[in-house]
Amino acid sequence: MMMDLLLSFEQAGQNLLGAAWLPLWTLVKIVLIVAPIMGAVAYTTLAERWVIGWIQIRIGPNRVGYFGLLQPIADGLKLLMKEIIIPTGANKFLFILGPILALMPALAAWAVVPFNAEMVLSNVNAGLLYILAMASLGVYGIIIAGWASNSKYAFLGALRSAAQIVSYEIAMGFALVCVLMAAQSMNLGDIVNGQKGHYGALNWYFIPLFPMFIVYFISGVAEANRAPFDVAEGESEIVAGFHVEYSGMAFALFFLAEYANMILISFLTSIMFLGGWLSPVPFLPDSIVWMLAKAVFVLFLFLWFRATFPRYRYDQLMRLGWKVFIPLSIIWVVVVGAWMQTPLWVW
Amino acid sequence: MNFLDIVFYVFAAITVFAAMGVITSRNPVNAALFLVLAFCSSAGIWMLLEAEFLAIVLVLVYVGAVMVLFLFVVMMLDINLVRLREGFWRWFPFGAGIAGLMVFEMIYVLGARQTSDTVHAVTHGADYSNTKELGRLLYTDYVYPFELAAVLLLVAMVAAIALTLRRRAGLKTQSISEQVQVQAADRVRIVKQMSAEGTDSATRK
Amino acid sequence: MEKIKFYFKTFLLVELLKGLALTGRYLFARKITVQFPEEKTPQGYRFRGLHAQRRYANGEERCIGCKLCEAVCPALAIKIEVAEREDGTRRTTQYDIDLTKCIFCGFCEESCPVDAIVETRIFEYHGEKKGDLYYTKPMLLAVGDKHEAQIARDRADDAKYR
Repeated sequence: MMMDLLLSFEQAGQNLLGAAWLPLWTLVKIVLIVAPIMGAVAYTTLAERWVIGWIQIRIGPNRVGYFGLLQPIADGLKLLMKEIIIPTGANKFLFILGPILALMPALAAWAVVPFNAEMVLSNVNAGLLYILAMASLGVYGIIIAGWASNSKYAFLGALRSAAQIVSYEIAMGFALVCVLMAAQSMNLGDIVNGQKGHYGALNWYFIPLFPMFIVYFISGVAEANRAPFDVAEGESEIVAGFHVEYSGMAFALFFLAEYANMILISFLTSIMFLGGWLSPVPFLPDSIVWMLAKAVFVLFLFLWFRATFPRYRYDQLMRLGWKVFIPLSIIWVVVVGAWMQTPLWVW
Repeated sequence: MNFLDIVFYVFAAITVFAAMGVITSRNPVNAALFLVLAFCSSAGIWMLLEAEFLAIVLVLVYVGAVMVLFLFVVMMLDINLVRLREGFWRWFPFGAGIAGLMVFEMIYVLGARQTSDTVHAVTHGADYSNTKELGRLLYTDYVYPFELAAVLLLVAMVAAIALTLRRRAGLKTQSISEQVQVQAADRVRIVKQMSAEGTDSATRK
Repeated sequence: MEKIKFYFKTFLLVELLKGLALTGRYLFARKITVQFPEEKTPQGYRFRGLHAQRRYANGEERCIGCKLCEAVCPALAIKIEVAEREDGTRRTTQYDIDLTKCIFCGFCEESCPVDAIVETRIFEYHGEKKGDLYYTKPMLLAVGDKHEAQIARDRADDAKYR
């Protein structure tokens, strides 16, 4: 019913606008994806303050609007009003480009993320690779911002985070290699469909690929520069890392990028390992609601981690990436490869 | 001139502009960033040729990893531009000779191929997976060259590490794995201490 | 055996899960935040807030200008000028407390021989411009007049411990 309406609407548009229709319609779809993400980002900041408050037996924001629901809007307005200060000796163009480059890949990656069997902006075959490529681009915003600020702390933060992201990307990539071996496809929609079965949640990839599920999620936390891997910011060591010199909306863009990355990784974790929009029990229908519920759960884990774990020391963090995660994920690639050749592989 | 042609010329123009930027910009960081832009736009051109695997891998490997490490080094360098420029004219004939040779080679290679309007890249249906085909070729017809290249890279990697690894005597370093494996029992001993009668602050008058 | 157990514990992230369980429990714990303007924490009768000057029941001000408080004040926040009144008594012509200097130690109150200067339970006061927190004698007397009942009650409660 909904689909028919959409199709007839598309047909009418095509007749009306001709060749201009496709780019226009794509733009509309992009806005339809990005606008809710931005809203979700805003409310993730509020949720974070609530969850961390509750864990610290506080109440959290509850003054602006009912239960503090207008708090993100107030924060956003505050940041909009503030002046953007460009430090002396900074490279002006790159200084402004930094935050934009930080946010851009975090949003661009959503192009291939399916929300349910039909809802996906671009159903490309190399979706998984595209996601990895976008994730690896995120580091540019940070490294450019850190260098262009002409500040020692910002530069140190940028170097730390660049090294961290490049290291954890490898483990993340190998974890995803296991997924694509299991699904035999790099299309995110096919990966979810590969987890379909008669046993609901037991068919999902997090069971055969459990170590990779953990590695992927922890690498995701490191990739998003979130606690306990937030050495790039490291308030107690290097003030605020790569965004020390940023104020106002330029700072807000970094903030948005961090949370957009968190939400992206939550969605990807639920697509790759938790069955996406598939229902966990066989007697309930598959729907986008499951997808959102899983993503919210993973997002909650991010906040829970931040409230629980103290920050990693930098050398220990590098050790975890190179000496634990990468060997572990390479071993598991071999294990999954061998396992798939045996009849014991039932996924 | 259809939509794809326009996209191609836009990407080509950006690539040429960025490539010019790489060699003309004075600041090495800017040059490296121009190179990143050149990689990205050539990935776009490959995408137009339906080589999506190569395009994305170009972004993933070169832009996402190699150039980051490049920038890493370049940013930490303190480059003296004046020293860099001296001897320009001395080396100019040498550089010009190499450039001329490369131009000749490229004309020779590209000119030999038929490049008329009738030749187009092969187009495939939407369900055609470039990645799958590439993988199949690499692991069947070209498996030996592929494995050879892999071994070569491994040897180069080991050699690079072996050449740069230096152990100085008397260097004090931390052993992280030892630190991580410490358990509470190794560090803390909990002692049950009885408070003597009459000295407890609560009982003191 | 110990070593094997340790490796299992490390790889299964037992300690991390313990930590998560602890914070997870606190997620549902009763919150201890005091919602300030609506809720307030209880105050004791020894609370040291805004200063006040008291009067005797007949309306005569207590302060005799002995300057003990000025002398004892560690923050040098008190300034006193003294003169003889028409009836021959020693009275202050100026008694100022700079609340921006005051550290609310309560020494002035302790040193006062006639219980003239006291600290009240008031702590929610503010100044909107420079000098608003410089309290002069009439202002201190006005605070005392307004809260005399509460001040007297607090002194009476505290008296048995002195």
